[in-house]
Amino acid sequence: MDADRLSDLLARCALRDQRAFAELYRNSSGKLFAVAVRITRRRDWAEEVLQESYVSIWNHASGYAPSKSAPMTWMTAIVRNRALDLLRRPREVELDEEHEELIASIPDETPGPEQLLALARDAGALAECLKQLTGEQQKSISLAFFQGLSHGELAHQMQKPLGTVKAWVRRGLERLKNCLEPRGA
Amino acid sequence: MRLDNDDLRQKLAAEYVLGTMSARARRRFATLLRQVPALRRAVAEWESALMPLADALPELAPPARVWNAIESRINGTRPEAGGHRGFWHNLAFWRLSSIASAAAALALVVFIALPGRQAPDEIPGRMVVVMNDLETKQPAMTATWEHGRQGERIMRLRVMGHAEMAPGTAWEMWMLPGGGQNPVSLGLITTHETQTMVIPAALAARLDGAEGLAMSVEPAGGSRTGLPTGPVLYAGKALKT
Repeated sequence: MDADRLSDLLARCALRDQRAFAELYRNSSGKLFAVAVRITRRRDWAEEVLQESYVSIWNHASGYAPSKSAPMTWMTAIVRNRALDLLRRPREVELDEEHEELIASIPDETPGPEQLLALARDAGALAECLKQLTGEQQKSISLAFFQGLSHGELAHQMQKPLGTVKAWVRRGLERLKNCLEPRGA
Repeated sequence: MRLDNDDLRQKLAAEYVLGTMSARARRRFATLLRQVPALRRAVAEWESALMPLADALPELAPPARVWNAIESRINGTRPEAGGHRGFWHNLAFWRLSSIASAAAALALVVFIALPGRQAPDEIPGRMVVVMNDLETKQPAMTATWEHGRQGERIMRLRVMGHAEMAPGTAWEMWMLPGGGQNPVSLGLITTHETQTMVIPAALAARLDGAEGLAMSVEPAGGSRTGLPTGPVLYAGKALKT
């Protein structure tokens, strides 16, 4: 569904049009659920995140401004923020066998973060700019974006010192920014 | 934290959007975000830059229970299949705003009763809509209408407080017919405290039966799609006086 149509649906949601909301859900929940599952790595948490996110989208639809962001950007940011907040909140339960089992329930055949980065072909300028990053920068940024890893988790996963990983992320983001905004300050 | 420094703002916004911050840093940053507009701008820029990455993810259909839960939460009740009850009746929004609306409606009735050039019995079924600011939930605008000579409706608007319209935008009034029908434009308005609109006779019956009114921010000249495209600032339900 194109951005204009999604923007129209959001405008109608702001007018409390539930049919528009249902159509918005039908046309965006597949993508947003995928984002939530990736980050939380648990389907039950991802469902919770999706539910909270759509209630928030419904309640804040009047705050959406098409001139400021694309509708999927606005909605994806809501879902990622919810998922990251859930992931970062103090765990009542440590990751244990039960959770490992749930993680294992997520199909393996889905592409990994690096393949996803390679697949980000619709991202236009972003795709071009990603190519300018070093391998480590790409890997750390894609792990952070798709899996929601913090600096500490990145260091653990990539088996590198925290400072090194932080620098990859920081320089990678700087390079992206400079590339996306060639006239940048 | 020194946030007057653009480089620092950029760095923090990027890490927040990417999601690499620790729990504590995220919470602190989220608080700052509410207070510092420049930080919100930086976050919006980074979101626009990075969110398209998610396009690469293959879609994954959520189970039906997720939608059922969302629907019952925004409704307060489960929807009735094929029912004809107007969906406006169920909304939490109206419940939230009803107390403030009732008070404002009362004040408005007094307000419109006082200058009365016409005797009340000449205005059968006069309608009142108290429109709330959807952000603050406070009454922001009132609309009343009565019959004109040729079957048209004379709508009087009163804008409360000191509303401001951003340059290059317009305020458009919408009639909300209810029953899942699309909003119908009534035209553009100003920020003047009192103003009058003439609603053509062709729309009169629908207006009298409308569930409510809304006002949205549109490009200068009004919505080009025939439907609201910008944020809705004010909305309210119609009441018969």
